[in-house]
Amino acid sequence: MTHRHAITRTMGKAAAMLLAACCTWCLTACIDEEQFPDSPQGNLEALWRIIDEHYCFLDYKKEAIGLDWDEVHTRYASRVDEGMSRTQLFEVLCAMLSELRDGHVNIYTSFDTGREWSWSEDYPSNVSDTLLRKYLGTDYKMSNGLNYRVLDDNIGYVRYPSFANEIGSGNLDDMLTFLAPCRGLIIDIRSNGGGMLTSAETFAARFTNEELLVGYIQHKTGKGHSDFSPMEKQILKPAKAVRWQKPVVVLTNRGVFSAANEFVKYMKCCPKVTIVGDRTGGGAGMPFSSQLPCGWSIRFSACPIYDRDKNSTEFGIEPDHHVGLTDADFHRGRDTIIEHARQLLGK
Amino acid sequence: MTTTDKRATLLRILTTALAVCFCTTMMAQDESTPTKKVTHTEMVAIGSADLLDTYLSPEKYKGSEMRYISHTIRDIPGDRWQQQIIHQGSIAMADDRAEDGNLMGGLYTLDYALQRPFHPGDGQWELRVGGMANFNLGVLYNSRNQNNPAQLKLSMQLGPAAAVTRAFHLFGKEWRARYEVELPLLGLMFCPNYGQSYYEIFTRGDYDHNAVVTTPFNAPSMRHALTIDFPLWKVTWRVGYLGDYQQAEVNNLKQHAYTHALLLGWVKKFKVTRTRK
Repeated sequence: MTHRHAITRTMGKAAAMLLAACCTWCLTACIDEEQFPDSPQGNLEALWRIIDEHYCFLDYKKEAIGLDWDEVHTRYASRVDEGMSRTQLFEVLCAMLSELRDGHVNIYTSFDTGREWSWSEDYPSNVSDTLLRKYLGTDYKMSNGLNYRVLDDNIGYVRYPSFANEIGSGNLDDMLTFLAPCRGLIIDIRSNGGGMLTSAETFAARFTNEELLVGYIQHKTGKGHSDFSPMEKQILKPAKAVRWQKPVVVLTNRGVFSAANEFVKYMKCCPKVTIVGDRTGGGAGMPFSSQLPCGWSIRFSACPIYDRDKNSTEFGIEPDHHVGLTDADFHRGRDTIIEHARQLLGK
Repeated sequence: MTTTDKRATLLRILTTALAVCFCTTMMAQDESTPTKKVTHTEMVAIGSADLLDTYLSPEKYKGSEMRYISHTIRDIPGDRWQQQIIHQGSIAMADDRAEDGNLMGGLYTLDYALQRPFHPGDGQWELRVGGMANFNLGVLYNSRNQNNPAQLKLSMQLGPAAAVTRAFHLFGKEWRARYEVELPLLGLMFCPNYGQSYYEIFTRGDYDHNAVVTTPFNAPSMRHALTIDFPLWKVTWRVGYLGDYQQAEVNNLKQHAYTHALLLGWVKKFKVTRTRK
């Protein structure tokens, strides 16, 4: 019995030591994140840190446009003082982010959305609602964001202004079946600002009969500017549904961005596809969200995407035929880019 | 035989069969023995939640949490090891310091522990020491994010679990104070890589260190509770404090969920008898 009591006492002591160790460990091993103060200086530091640790194009833009993020900090930190208003702080933070020249970078507040849209605003729009109405008329078919009709010369015309909605397989089957008698197809995605990558893949999968390497994707693995995962191949698989077998022309302008930019990248790899119009706007980083101490939301590019040659498409994709709207055609009610596509398909 | 005779015969047969069955059952019950003492407690925990997940936001979110806990201890006389099974379901709602963002969390946890009881001293103390395994499944949702709006919580952990119980008398009734603690030492958890999107993981199937081994060095976590059981109105009530501190720093991402909650519940004790066949 004495021996048993000794064992019991030893076990009791061991358990007590375990409990003490638990408490000590938990009290001393807190996993926490530095919280910047909710002040103009604190918000600027928090924003600079978010971009420094999470933004995926700092190295690329250092090379492409000479961006020096440390120098940006020095320059903008001096513009902030404790007495400035929210609006003034917003202007400084927006100016700092505009150095990135990225349409996927935004600040969202209750009174304004900070943005840098020079990739589109500094160039001719090359699209006109007036002309689009003329080509589409009023009796066009409309299905889940896809507006389409057959033009006079038996060419199918599809106007698709956004990838924001999930494209249904049935929508594409019905549209392509309806347009099947046409001798060619025009897909007009001018000023399509993007949306869902999966929609871009679903649509593009109708234009290939075999698996195609269309690009690469990777993500950050750490806080360093060069901490990236290996590039993973993006393979476009042919749709197991109605697939288009005739020539296709995709119309682009500087407003083609993000998922729409990806769609152009995919289509460039597909056979019988020609890109006509202006260079796309780019936007080759899948955006993530974060926030500042004052509550403003931040959006930034987090996962870089590349073309099949491992080149970034962040600053856009060149068309096969560079064509812009002309004033003469506009006054005659002609869309120069659509007419060029019709010529290509009519040959 | 007439129809009436047939009915009467059938009735006699059925009555005899029922009587045989009843007697057999009674005999079987007579031969049964009590095999398990079960202490089952159902509790509600209401308290504060402190949430951080740097995949979603660098900001800490603070708010409230409500948790349902089903706590069962099965003692099998003669067995060295006793079972403890805990089911927990929790919902947390928290705001950032600017009160401009909202984080919602839901988590289910299953704990299974095998513990060996000791009765040191005067017999009023009971110490249970053993090991536990737990399984966690839940989600953390940030209402303001776009491509990274949620974080899947999926993990399994192994570690020691201990409990100390002391019985004492107050107001002429028996009260029990209990302190229990769990410390995960080895586990496996799901986590996206630092800047990896769920699109890459679940749509494309590009995995990158998404199953991470956890130890006290990268995930120092602990759950403990101090409770008092007391009889009132023919019911044994339990009140106490629950502290649950779950932390991890994996794939360069930090997460923590600290809960401090008030426990309130009732205790049922019963014996489960096994019938011999």
